Amino acid sequence: MIVTNPLFWFALLVIGVVIFAVILKKQELLNNTYVAVAVSLLIAVAYFHLVDHYLMDMQGLDYWYLFRK
Amino acid sequence: MGGLTRKKLWSIVALGAMIGLLLLPTIMLLPTIMSLPALAGGGGAPAAGGPPPDVAKPADAAAGKDAGPKVEKGRDVYYKTEGIVTGAPAPKTADNSQFYPRYNFESRVLLWFANQQHLYYGSFVLAVPIFCMIIEFMGIVSKDRAMAKKYDQLAYDFIKISLTAYSLTAILGGILIFTFLTLYPAFFGYLSSIFRPVMHVYALMFVAESGTIYIYYYGWDKMKEGLLKWIHVSMSVVLNVIGTVLMMLANSWIGFMMSPAGVDEQGRYLGNIWHVIHTALWNPLNVHRILGNMAFGGGVVAAYAAYRFLASKTDEERAHYDWMGYIAMAIGVAFLIPLPFAGYWLMREVYAYRQQMGITLMGGLLAWLFIIQATMIGILFLSSNYYLWQALGRMRGAEKYQRYIKYMVFVLVVGFLIFITPHTIVMTPAELKAMGGQQHPVLGNYGVMSAKNGGINVIITTTVLTFIWYMRGNKLSTVSWAKFGNIFMGVFFACAYVNIIWLAIYGYYIPANVRVGLSVPQVATTLSCLFFMTALNGVMMRGAKQMGPIEWGKISVRSQYALIMLATAFTWMMGLMGYIRSSVRLFWHVNEIMRDNSPWAYTHTTGFAANMISFNVLFFWVTILFVFWLGTLGVKKAPVEAKVPIPGRAPEPAVGH
Repeated sequence: MIVTNPLFWFALLVIGVVIFAVILKKQELLNNTYVAVAVSLLIAVAYFHLVDHYLMDMQGLDYWYLFRK
Repeated sequence: MGGLTRKKLWSIVALGAMIGLLLLPTIMLLPTIMSLPALAGGGGAPAAGGPPPDVAKPADAAAGKDAGPKVEKGRDVYYKTEGIVTGAPAPKTADNSQFYPRYNFESRVLLWFANQQHLYYGSFVLAVPIFCMIIEFMGIVSKDRAMAKKYDQLAYDFIKISLTAYSLTAILGGILIFTFLTLYPAFFGYLSSIFRPVMHVYALMFVAESGTIYIYYYGWDKMKEGLLKWIHVSMSVVLNVIGTVLMMLANSWIGFMMSPAGVDEQGRYLGNIWHVIHTALWNPLNVHRILGNMAFGGGVVAAYAAYRFLASKTDEERAHYDWMGYIAMAIGVAFLIPLPFAGYWLMREVYAYRQQMGITLMGGLLAWLFIIQATMIGILFLSSNYYLWQALGRMRGAEKYQRYIKYMVFVLVVGFLIFITPHTIVMTPAELKAMGGQQHPVLGNYGVMSAKNGGINVIITTTVLTFIWYMRGNKLSTVSWAKFGNIFMGVFFACAYVNIIWLAIYGYYIPANVRVGLSVPQVATTLSCLFFMTALNGVMMRGAKQMGPIEWGKISVRSQYALIMLATAFTWMMGLMGYIRSSVRLFWHVNEIMRDNSPWAYTHTTGFAANMISFNVLFFWVTILFVFWLGTLGVKKAPVEAKVPIPGRAPEPAVGH
């Protein structure tokens, strides 16, 4: 079941950014394809969930409508 | 020394004259501003449901014992505030030659033609100075002297085209006024009476615009260095401010015709000109038009460059016009990308203002025109992408992207086909029976907004991706995190596509009142790609290794036809959207205030409208070609001097000024 709490997605985004900041100092990790894909996915997925949630919320609408039913 | 001082003196005089011209309308506007009830009384926005204090005061005084002549009050049809009636009611016209003089021709078609031509030229001459401002500024801040000179020459080329078109715009404006006065005297008289407080401002702004553009153009050579150059570029800012205000004033008329405000239900002016100007649709129209004008202007200039490219005799000329076409196309497309979103906002406000109006537009009488519009938008984006793919061919190192183009074509075509799928189609009873209903069992699913929003956002995101590939075509990032950056960019785009498509599918499973909001995160997803990925690409490409120079002029001829196609599609779409916006009033001159009782107050067939639009487009292009030709007459040959080719740069412009 999908997590409908935006704080969860915000936490994921923060974790993704923190990991990126950490690996930025370690060249071998930074240029590792698997690590790069994982971190990128973490950031992008969390970011788009937040965009979806908050932009619907700003219109007074529930993005998670189907999942809450 | 003396020469320089004289130049400075003349520049300062010119600037003073320009500021004077700019201030003149403001001074002339002062009596109008002072007469505004809200401002004169120091009050703010009137509260809904009750008269504003400054309006109520004279009314109260009138109601007192020593009241003078009785003051009649009316209620604003939109703002719902009360105001003192200061105008005559909208005329009740009848189908006779007093209100609608006859000239053995459909008056509406004549007016349509005059209006459309004026609008085309008006849009062009408002957009091009904005280009000049941007390009001239780029030239000033450029550290590369050769590039600075090229930018300066390009800005000059742009304004030169604009100047000839400017005269034609003024002539067409005059023709338009005469057409109104001759064919629709009652309507024009009423509209003029409503906008009387700002009519003179419009005229004076036009004078200021003319003065500024001439000083700007003729002062180019005299103000080409140092502080004077900055003064010159500031003049372009002033020029564009005037142009934008002019456009916004003109928009207030069409805004008033569609969504009147500041008048009572009989159409009587209530003394607040700001209410008349600031109607429900004014701001969306302003934003939509300024973006549309820029995209259109970019298209026309790109077509001009393509025409000159195709007619070029030398490689040097070809290089210059190839570069010019690219810059114009890039500016045009930069404004094309947000244009659908501005259009969406406008439609949203139309629905908010009158739901029926929105339904007439997108779900009723005019819905088929929106299918044509969708087709045109698709053509615009396909042409832009095609041009950029062709342009990759003039860069060494860009070959690596060529193999992905076929996938992008696939994505674009799928998005395009979904975007243009109609909800229902016109059918014979036999066809209806064979299909089992009004909607096709499979394709019918794509005829709803959920799918269409997905389709257009996929198209725009793909265009952004093409642009980014073009920007990095001949470059190799040298930053230490280049691999991570590339992967991040790929993942971000992939997730954006998934999010857009997911939201489109999700829309089918939730109620309409929730579904309608999904378009906003879809747009935000596309804009995230545009802003974040362009910025990321810019950072990654800073100090990048050049794989080879951009070989300006070495581009296929097909690409130039794509530019001409782009410009023609812009022109056609502008004509179409203007017709749609105007037609939505149906049988009203001013919506729900002044009825159109002429014999032509009906909606034309789609076929007739398309023919009329095509005629307008053809006429515009024939006349603008004449303008282009005139522009070439004044070109002097560049002085013959030693030119050192700079690797990776286009040769110096072939024309001088």
